[in-house]
Amino acid sequence: MALKFLVVDDSVTMRRIVANSLKTIGHDLYVEAGDGREALSKLTTDDSINFVITDWNMPEVSGLELVKAIRSNEKFGTIPILMVTTRGLKEDIIEALAAKVNNYVVKPFTPQILKEKIEQIISAAV
Amino acid sequence: MDNNNSFENIFKKLGDLKDFFVYGQKLIPILHKILDFMHDTVPLLENVNRSIQDSTSKIPKAAMQINSITNANEIATTEILDIVDSMSLDISNMQTKLESLKSKIGEDEDLNSILSTIDKINTGVLNITISLQVQDITSQQLSSVNHLIQSIQEKLAALLIEFKEKDIHEAPEADFQFPRDGSFNADARYDKNNSSQILADSLVEETLNKASQSEIDKLFAKS
Repeated sequence: MALKFLVVDDSVTMRRIVANSLKTIGHDLYVEAGDGREALSKLTTDDSINFVITDWNMPEVSGLELVKAIRSNEKFGTIPILMVTTRGLKEDIIEALAAKVNNYVVKPFTPQILKEKIEQIISAAV
Repeated sequence: MDNNNSFENIFKKLGDLKDFFVYGQKLIPILHKILDFMHDTVPLLENVNRSIQDSTSKIPKAAMQINSITNANEIATTEILDIVDSMSLDISNMQTKLESLKSKIGEDEDLNSILSTIDKINTGVLNITISLQVQDITSQQLSSVNHLIQSIQEKLAALLIEFKEKDIHEAPEADFQFPRDGSFNADARYDKNNSSQILADSLVEETLNKASQSEIDKLFAKS
């Protein structure tokens, strides 16, 4: 099954870097959102999205709030979520894992790390 | 007898009055010094007040300048990304054509050398993209500085209110929107040694193992 990613980040540059990295590792299908609120709206309207890559620090609805909102949603509650963030402290990572992100990437990242984490999530789901 | 008592009372009162005058004489120079001190201090306090007002009115401008740095960085990064994307496309086209040429003419040392150089250029281009993530990291650090500036502005505003002067929020320059707490990470670091990623990997593995163990435990509980 082809993966369609939802790339959530308030930084236009980061959304583009994530999208470019996805293309580098062979994933061309993606949509973008500038914060958690927009991401939730896209998830509600676009059933073909089957993978979320989200930043943590965003205005309005943060990445962590987005993860919690997704996990409590009946329709798309089980969608794989990869958190890609500048937050590298132990307590942050634990908080994200407690909110049920599937994996965690600390910025700056390489396309190789992104590929590795996506594959880990997919293989765990199978 | 009554007269004696009255005189004694009068003398006592006069004694008290004398003591009061003596005390007053001692007190007057102290009062003078206090008045002199206040006289010197009031302009000083007014100066402090003016300095605070001046500094406070400059704060939104400083915050706006920091914001304009972030915006300029973002524009420059986008321009670099445009160039990098165009280079990547050219490199990819060049690789395809050279591979096609290689399949026609067979193994060729020069061609292999060119392909290897192109690979190196491609890796360089990829590394530029990775390094551009510094823009997001520095913008979060700058947002954190702006947040700090906001805290200072609030403290100074509170001081000005104590001076019963004009609230700085009424200042025309003070319409700058400071970043919200959750929209940046004050600890954002451009750290390429992967120590945070290693920590994240070990915590993720630990969590996954715990989850697997709890699933096994649930299965055994059912049987």
